[in-house]
Amino acid sequence: MNRRELLVGTASTLVAGAAGPAFAQFKPSRPIEFVVHGGPGSGNDVFARTLTTIIDQEKLLPVRMQVVNKPGGGSTSAAAYVVSKKNDPHVIACFTNIWLIDPMVQEAATNKLMDMSPIARLVVEPALVVVRADSQIKTLKEFIDAAKAKPGALKMSGGSITSRENTVRQLLMQLTGVRWAFISFPSGGERIAALLGGHVDMMIVDPSEAGEQVRAGKLRVIAQVNERRLPAFPDIPTIKEAGYDIPNVPQMRGVVGAPGMSAETIAFYEDLFLKASKTAGWQKFVNDSQLDGEFVKSAELKPFFTKFEGELREILKAAGAKVVR
Amino acid sequence: MEIASGLLHGFAVALQPGNVIWCFVGCLLGTIVGIMPGLGPAATIALLLPLTFKMDPAGGIIMLAGIYYGAKYGGSTTSILLNIPGESSSVVTCLDGYQMARKGRAGAALGIAAIASFVAGTVGVIGLTLVAPPVAAFALSFSSPEYFALMCLGLALVVLLSGTSLLKGLLSLLLGLWLTSIGTDLFTAQSRFIFGQATLLGGIDFMVVAIGVFAIGEVLGSVEAGEEAKVLPVPRGFRNLLPNAEELKACRFAFLNGSITGFLVGCLPGGGATISSFIAYGIEKAVSKHPEQFGKGAPEGVAAPEGANNADTGGALVPLLTLGIPSGGSTAIMLSALVLWGVKPGPLMMQESPDVFWGLVASMYIGNVVLLILNLPLVPLFAQILRLPVYVLFPVIFGISIVGAYGASGRMFDLGLLVGFGLLGYAMSKLKYPSAPLILGFVLGDAMERALRQSLMMSQGDLMTLVQRPISAIMLSLALVILLIPLFGWFNRLRLRAITENG
Amino acid sequence: MLRAFLKKGDVISGAVLAALGVFIITQARSWDYYTLDGPGPGFFPFWYGVAMVVLSLLLVLNAARADGDGDSKADWPATGRAMTVWLAFALSVGLMDFLGFLISFALLAFFLVAVVFRRPFTTAAVVAVASALAFHLIFPVALSVSLPTGPFGF
Repeated sequence: MNRRELLVGTASTLVAGAAGPAFAQFKPSRPIEFVVHGGPGSGNDVFARTLTTIIDQEKLLPVRMQVVNKPGGGSTSAAAYVVSKKNDPHVIACFTNIWLIDPMVQEAATNKLMDMSPIARLVVEPALVVVRADSQIKTLKEFIDAAKAKPGALKMSGGSITSRENTVRQLLMQLTGVRWAFISFPSGGERIAALLGGHVDMMIVDPSEAGEQVRAGKLRVIAQVNERRLPAFPDIPTIKEAGYDIPNVPQMRGVVGAPGMSAETIAFYEDLFLKASKTAGWQKFVNDSQLDGEFVKSAELKPFFTKFEGELREILKAAGAKVVR
Repeated sequence: MEIASGLLHGFAVALQPGNVIWCFVGCLLGTIVGIMPGLGPAATIALLLPLTFKMDPAGGIIMLAGIYYGAKYGGSTTSILLNIPGESSSVVTCLDGYQMARKGRAGAALGIAAIASFVAGTVGVIGLTLVAPPVAAFALSFSSPEYFALMCLGLALVVLLSGTSLLKGLLSLLLGLWLTSIGTDLFTAQSRFIFGQATLLGGIDFMVVAIGVFAIGEVLGSVEAGEEAKVLPVPRGFRNLLPNAEELKACRFAFLNGSITGFLVGCLPGGGATISSFIAYGIEKAVSKHPEQFGKGAPEGVAAPEGANNADTGGALVPLLTLGIPSGGSTAIMLSALVLWGVKPGPLMMQESPDVFWGLVASMYIGNVVLLILNLPLVPLFAQILRLPVYVLFPVIFGISIVGAYGASGRMFDLGLLVGFGLLGYAMSKLKYPSAPLILGFVLGDAMERALRQSLMMSQGDLMTLVQRPISAIMLSLALVILLIPLFGWFNRLRLRAITENG
Repeated sequence: MLRAFLKKGDVISGAVLAALGVFIITQARSWDYYTLDGPGPGFFPFWYGVAMVVLSLLLVLNAARADGDGDSKADWPATGRAMTVWLAFALSVGLMDFLGFLISFALLAFFLVAVVFRRPFTTAAVVAVASALAFHLIFPVALSVSLPTGPFGF
């Protein structure tokens, strides 16, 4: 730091200190609502409750934080609730990709993630490309080749057309010019059962869902969907490493606040979750669930959302979803 | 033998004083949760998860499982007494259970429900113990064509559930099919019939429909009599508080039917307790010597679905414990719980965590006994609810309905829907449209459409896949036969008329 | 000529269902019927819409053809009572968003006991207050099941 910067820095600190309450730290005075778009027991719910429990145990908050379930219509009920609590500094929510996607494909979903106050991105969920252990396919290239030989005959199971699995599928199909079918199932259990039963040939799945099957030798991992290799699978190439350079489509989870949050409030929450993410309990949870816990701060989050939303929009259009916004 | 030694080991774990207490706590909580509409086992299990972090895995899963199958016992209570399903899988019990109560046999109905639950729950655990691996393999062989055929079979049962007017029964079914398609299409994310309401993107909650049509519709019907409205007759005397020998004898087959149907349908990852209870009910009616009794208070009509929804728990645990695949909300949460404890549910669980696995299985035997002992004496107690004067009972029914509809989602919108469905239920009963097919269509419609579309996607548009696969071909033929039964009856009547006219 | 309530009811309900069926078909036509991947979102609704129209018209036909035997005349006072109760219920639910469960339900209970069942006002008041309180104590307080709250927090 040169002398001029030092002078400016000192001066602004003095001014900030002298300005008093306007720049004071935010202090919650009521229990904090942590809104989740799934019902009790859903992936997000468990995620949020674990986080809440850790914050509680480590005494990082002077007040209680409670999980509020607002299931319905994907993220729409939760998003509507958060927007309805505009200017309330005690309402935050756990967001995932569908908070960006739902407003794009549903006419009636009018509450956009961009209107809320981004706080932090906590984890990215990697995925594994798996086939049955007794399948002939041993690498991603073999799968693509097999699909090329029989267009539309190979099948993969997954969630809805807007899910991450389909997004990756779209990107791969666009890159290679090959086509294979995507069969939607509403629950993870059914998707895995379809693969294990031989009714579909491949699926892209969370490591936590398929981990046991892999360990028991029933499923084989042929590629990873992540920027870097997971520690549990050091020998499996990522899609990029396997030779398919598709853009990374992170499946993320993080925290946003209700619209209209002041900078101090956002800073408070950002700090809270940063501390929480460094605790041993959280690290263990992240490792056990095989997540990638790279913390992204509020300032970087908004431009990331804009960029990501644009990318998703193009992918969804290519996938045949009706994009309305 | 491996299973025997495992089970013995399991009993050793389950009979430890701490675990017995957890089992009891779970069963008690589960019964309460089941009785109260608005509380579901999934939500309760999720709420208790943080508490269980401090417990050891065996004790924890024993308690959570106790809540899960305990809820199935309690769910029939309000179904029988108030025509309000306590749990979505208890809706079929309303059909005959409430009618039995109207005839003064409320105690008998409650008793049959408890006994059927015990028998089927035990059969379910025996199934889990002995035939889990082959059953799991069977479950995996079920693909979308088989699911579609199963749903068709279920829908063909509407023919048997329609009572006098087949036409109205079919229309009721179609209405149910429409109502369930309101929401977002899974495959294309296309929103259907949401009338611009974002709240409808997730579809209509089943409990809102069931409570509205059954409970509110029934109350509105009863209120017509104004101050003359009568409550259900209170069973008097100890003998009338429990099922008599004749009723129990009639239910012999129903106990078996409920157990097997519930277990088999329960082990399918896409199956569910509600579906299995409908199918068990339909099978029971199809093989009964007096099918016209169903819907009017046939004890088998209570035994079969109640048994099915309990055997379903054993069935649902098969894929969870042997493959690590959950089938439904409650099992999904139990899966998360197991993972959080460091137990790894999957093909290797039996070897790596025999304590938890066999301890859980053994505790289910114990739990079923505990629940029978818990529930049977409660029967006379619950039957006393009917003593309440009508002007207290009816407001209470409204209150419970509101709690049931609001409790699941916390949305005022659902209460608005409840009001609407209440009116629909009343209109249907006035115009003599049977309400069971509506519920059946609502439960099955979604799954059936999905299964058909998945099948056609998998076969690349080839419809023949549905009849080329043996299991689905068999079920579809059965469905066809069931659908043709009224036609045989019609032909018969024509033939008889021709004979009498000529003779 | 008085037609039997049931028969007339069949005609009206049949007509309503037929109209619903037509609505369903028109909506279904606006979505994809069959896509590359298989039946689209318009497939099922189209077919059950068609079935609804066909069957409801059959119902109307049957009802119109059947003799007006008047086996059950409409009991309008009874229906009126039921509709009054339904209206009270609807109003009570409407109020819940503003006044909360406790007050709205107490009002409903009071109405039911005093007006529909014609019990003395004191009985009605007791039942209303007692049941509302009971619900409040059991559900939001003891079991943490949330109920609609009003300006007073309950």
